[in-house]
Formats: sequence, C-alpha cells, structure tokens
Amino acid sequence: MGDLELKNITIGYGNTPVIRDFSLTVENGQMASLLGPSGAGKTTVLRAVAGLLQPRSGAIIIDGRPANGLPPEKRNAVMVFQKTLLFPFMNVEQNIGFGLQMQGRSTGEIRRRVEKILELTELTGLNRRKIHELSGGQQQRVSLARALVLKPAILLLDEPLSSLDATLRQHMRELIQDIQAQTRITTLFVTHDQAEALMMSQRVCLLLNGRIRQVGSPRELFYRPADPDVARFFGGCNFFEGRLKNGVYYSQYATVAAPGLSANGDRLTATIRPEDIRICADGNRGITGRVQKTSFEGTTTRIWVQCQDRVFVVLAPVTDLQAGQSVRLHLPPDKIRIFAAEN
Amino acid sequence: MTTNVTSTGNNARTRPNPGLPVIGRLVAPALLVVTVLFGGGLLLGFLQGLGYLPAAGMKVFTLQHFANVLADPDFFRSLGLTLYISVTSTAAAALISIFMALVLTSLAQRHRVVHFIFQIPLTVPHLVIAVAVVFMFAPTGLFSRAALKLGLINSSASFPLLTNDSWGIGIVCTYVWKEVPFITLMILSVLRRTGVELLEVGKTLKAGRRQRFFYITLPTIFPSLGAACLIVFAYTFGAFEVPFLLGQTYPMTLPVWAYKNYSDVDLLARPEGIAIGLIIAAVVTTAVVASQLLTKAARRRGLVL
Repeated sequence: MGDLELKNITIGYGNTPVIRDFSLTVENGQMASLLGPSGAGKTTVLRAVAGLLQPRSGAIIIDGRPANGLPPEKRNAVMVFQKTLLFPFMNVEQNIGFGLQMQGRSTGEIRRRVEKILELTELTGLNRRKIHELSGGQQQRVSLARALVLKPAILLLDEPLSSLDATLRQHMRELIQDIQAQTRITTLFVTHDQAEALMMSQRVCLLLNGRIRQVGSPRELFYRPADPDVARFFGGCNFFEGRLKNGVYYSQYATVAAPGLSANGDRLTATIRPEDIRICADGNRGITGRVQKTSFEGTTTRIWVQCQDRVFVVLAPVTDLQAGQSVRLHLPPDKIRIFAAEN
Repeated sequence: MTTNVTSTGNNARTRPNPGLPVIGRLVAPALLVVTVLFGGGLLLGFLQGLGYLPAAGMKVFTLQHFANVLADPDFFRSLGLTLYISVTSTAAAALISIFMALVLTSLAQRHRVVHFIFQIPLTVPHLVIAVAVVFMFAPTGLFSRAALKLGLINSSASFPLLTNDSWGIGIVCTYVWKEVPFITLMILSVLRRTGVELLEVGKTLKAGRRQRFFYITLPTIFPSLGAACLIVFAYTFGAFEVPFLLGQTYPMTLPVWAYKNYSDVDLLARPEGIAIGLIIAAVVTTAVVASQLLTKAARRRGLVL
C-alpha cells in the first residue's frame, strides 16, 4: 500500500502527444477512477504507471519513490488488463502463484498465499482448473487474484469488467469494492463507464482529449460539473443560456440567484439534469412546452419537451404522457448549475 | 394474447455444421486427385515393395525385400546419417527461428521491409539454394576463392570441405537457410497474437527478462514450434534432392539410396528401393501425425496456434 503521485506527465506515441501535463494524486488506500471516453488516453496513463510506457516528461512517484526509470518488474505496481491474459499453459493455481514464483518465494509460501487469495476472490476449489475450463467471470477473478497475491503498493485496473455481461459485471464491481476495502490497496481503476466510476471510487478523474477536466468526489463531478463537457459526459443534456446581472442569472427558462458569480452582463451557460426537472400540474408554475416524444426506460420514462426554441429532456417516473400533449416544466433554481465564463 | 417466438439459436458465430456428406461433396474433386496420385502411387509402391513387379517377372508377394534392406549393414549407417541431418538441421533452424521471431516481434510495423526480405527464402526452391551452396561452399566456390585472394589459404585444396562432406555441412546449411523463415513465421504469428501481451503481463508480475523467456515465451510458442519442427523434420528426412547434390557418396542418406535403387538399370533392385521408400514414408507419416496430434492437444488446452 502506498501513495501514487503523477506530476505533469506528458506521454506520446511518435510525434503525437496523447497525454499532456497530467497530474494526479491517489492517496494511500484510496480507490480512484480514471474516467473518460475511448481514446482519451486512460490506458496510456496506466501503462506509464506500470512502466510499460515511458513518459516524455513529468514524474511518477510510487510509494514515495520516483519510478520513472524503473522497469515494470522493479515497480511496486501491478496491472490487471482489459483482457484477462491468463497463461493458457498453466492452471488457476499456477497462474495466481506466477508472480510469487518469479520473486523466488518458497513453494509453501506460494501455496499458502494462493489459497488465501482464492478464498478472497471466491475461487476456492478451482486450484487445478485449466484456464479454458473457466467462465469469463472466473477468468477475470483469476486475473485479479494474480495481481492481488503480490500485495502491490498500487493496483492498476484497466477496464477489467468491460467484457462481462451486466449481471456479472455488477457482481464483480461489488467484489472489487469489498476486496479493496479489506486489503486497502491503493487502486487506480480505468473505465469509460461513468456509473462504474461513480459507484466504485472515492475519487474520480475525468480525462477528455488527453487532459484532466475535473478531479473530485463522485458527487462533485455528478452534481457540480466544472464545465459543460463534464456535465455532458455525465449525462447532462439540458443546456441553456442567460445573462448575469447583479448576482442574479436571468434566462427565459429560469431566474437563479448566483451570488458566487461576478461576470456582470456576460452570457453564461447553465444546465439542469433531466431527473431534476419537474413536470407540474400547477397551471401557473414553470414554462410551457409540448411533448415531442417519450421513451420507456423501465423505472423511468424519458420525455422530450419542446419549450420555445429549446428541447428539454426530462426523466420522470412512469407516465402516460403522449406526443403532442401540452405540459408545464419546473426547473428548480437550486438544481441549476451555472458555468463560469471561460477566459 | 401470447406470441410464440421461435429461434433457430444460430448466429454468425454458431453457424450449423453442414454435415459430412456436404463437406465430402465439396472437397471430393481435390480429394480424388490426391487419392489417385498419392494413394495410387503409394499402393503401387507398396505392391512393388512386396515383390510384385510383373514387368521383371516377379509375381510373388514377399517381405524378403524389406528383410534384405533391414539386414544390410549400410541401412543403419544411412538411417543414422539421415537422422543426423534431419535432427541437426531442424534443431539449428528452430534455435535460429526462436531468436529471429523475438527480433522481428520487437521490430515496429514500419520495418515491414525486413519481414519481406526475411520471407524471400520461402519462395526459393530447395534445389536452387543447394546450387547456391555449391557455388559458395565448394572447394572451388566463392568463399574458397575469396579466402585464397585474402591469403587465408594456399590453394583451393586447403579450403575445408563444406560440400559432399561426411558431416553434411552443406546439406544442413541448405535446410537451415530454407526452413528458418518457415519456422519463424509459425512462431511469429503466435507471438504477435498473444505473446507480446503475455510478456507485458509477465513484466508487471515481476518476471525478469530470462524468466519471461523461459516461463512465458517458450511455453507460448511450444505447440507451434513443435508442430513446425516435426514438419521440417519430416521434410528433411524424406527429401532426396539436396543430399543427392551436396551429400557424400558413402554412406548415402536413405532417400538417395532409395532413389538410386529405384532408378537402377537392374529392375530387380527396384523392390528394395521401394522398400526403403516405404520405410521413409512410415517415419515421415509418423512425424506428420505427431505434429497434428500436438496441434490438436494444444488447441484442446486453449492455446493459440
């Protein structure tokens, strides 16, 4: 267990920089997620921490020690890859004990530690099983066990659940959370799934186009996105513009007190999450609109409502609203997030 | 109202097996040619090996020709020489191929030209390479003349014998040159598909360079390497043109001996030539079957080939 500190990292392939000036700290025992769309450079960061890629500049500090020049086998970090990448010519026990064997541990110690980790990862009894005889979930657990058994300072997880079906994925998420809580291994988890990042980590780092856009707690990123792109990434789809005047934000859809903002007269963008908009029965409250279409999504219904020149997307409990029907929308001022003007 | 949804349960990945009769009909033309040409030849050879050669007045089936061959002291000398050449050239080619595959794997995609050059020997016939070896390694060849010019030797006669020699150096060199690209490409495909990723896993699991080679690379390539080596062994054991051109006159390799007996003006020598040929065919078939079994076993274990 230890801290992970990345200071102003720049990584590139050929002449193209993929990651620019990237800094992140993951504290001892913390589970942090590196979140971003495909191609954002998440895996590149992880590979650099693991030592499989050398950054052009910047410092990687693992457990207080600079790791830049160290080869992967000398770093106190272990990576679990997106594909399980188990050794097909070894059984479960041999796969898990591989790292310990490479470190020259005694057979007795290897057996003891492997048994313990098999129990932790719910693989007891599968010691002698061949890899091709395992299910996808079991293979992923072996892959995780193989890394955990080494008790690394930093555990790097590169979208390890992306190939699993929804049920198995949820089970694995809970398992990883439980294991992390028990072992307290500092973990950096890469995912493109925002729900996964929010659920699993204490700290989320959103990476867009090779740059960090926001780092914070899951709630911060979800409810207080730093800019419209971050809001959009977390499912934000209702954006509108207005002007700030004497600490009040005026838009044709809502008026919000904004004492923290001081850009008087500037045109600013605001957003509200679809689940925060209320469809109200009160005829005098909110803004008038007409239902464009609805989409049943199980526990909720997604409703597209045309209000003046803008379409608002609303997530509401199951409703019998029909296309063409007239409705009134209430945008609670406390749920509206106004973005400061960019310099 | 209920709706019954029927599904065949098939998709692109689980296309139904068309069945043996359909597959049989599709491959029948190719199978017929192989059966008639190869199987027919083998049957004819088998009959002649059993002494049935009406043209020479031999109409009685007997195992005497096999017994004669096996009782001949030259048979075991020839067998020893043939095995020595096959095993040595296969082992040398395998070692070089492992090294070459590792080098080529580490080269980036932009070095495609290296891959292309490396594959050229695959397209060149064995006979052409054998002739090239004669031009280079013979006492009057290119290297000998170069050594003479450089003053390294006094005359062509003092140049070491590298062709038609007792160690079969020229033959082994020809086979190694020709077979290295074949084995390398077999290994390379496996290394490219999973080997590189597994090596990265090995690195993060604290395996050093040597450990990665012995614990990851070798087990990963073993099925492909083994299968390729068995095929190369089978080929070098049964091929006659290279030892015929570059080998010594005594002892001869089994294929050369078989060919000489078969092409002898005395038709009575032909059954013994055929008997030797059938013994070679048995060894070659065993090697090819072993190669297939190895491949099948590896696939059953989920290894990539």
